[in-house]
Amino acid sequence: MKRKRSKSVTLRALEKENERAVREQIRRLLSLPMNKRTHFLRVRLPGGGSSL
Amino acid sequence: MDGGVALDAEPILEEIVRALDECGLEVVLVGNAAAALQGAPVTTLDFDFMFRKTPANLGKLKTLAQKLSGRILTPYYPSSDLYRLVVEDSGIQLDFMPTLHGVRSFESLRSRAAKATFGGHPLWVADLSDIIRSKKTLGRPKDLAVLEILEKTLDEKEKK
Repeated sequence: MKRKRSKSVTLRALEKENERAVREQIRRLLSLPMNKRTHFLRVRLPGGGSSL
Repeated sequence: MDGGVALDAEPILEEIVRALDECGLEVVLVGNAAAALQGAPVTTLDFDFMFRKTPANLGKLKTLAQKLSGRILTPYYPSSDLYRLVVEDSGIQLDFMPTLHGVRSFESLRSRAAKATFGGHPLWVADLSDIIRSKKTLGRPKDLAVLEILEKTLDEKEKK
């Protein structure tokens, strides 16, 4: 029978997974030369706001 | 990067850096654009630079605006001493600041900055520690919001 996980356990697991994904993304970016880490610009939309 | 792939800034940076080099205007890139070049997964709408506010450099700033087909709003906020160059066609904004919170001088910032090259032209990019210190000192919600990710990036850089 599948055991039901408490909400706090699920949240901790999600936080851990998020932390792992962020660290991995940073390592990927750091492996590139500086002039290739350039996908960071958002564009202004007419009438306000911005988008990726 | 907020769940999407942001626009590639490389061609825009090439154009800006070439124009800066041709004008002979010495600057150091700061803010989120600098943080992104230093490896942080952050995005931004504009480019922030620190420069020395001298009569000669203000002249070079005008030349830069002409080269980029933009115009300068001076100063954007009377108390901040900020010079904003707006490129109408692309909507790109370049902010030039003679002072930066948490940074003693242009020379000290430059001494720790890293050199990147775009289209064969050099660009000095502020050290991540300086960007973090500046954002901590400023303390605006938008600065504090990215601090955690910048500190994680610094941590990963130091591990390398």
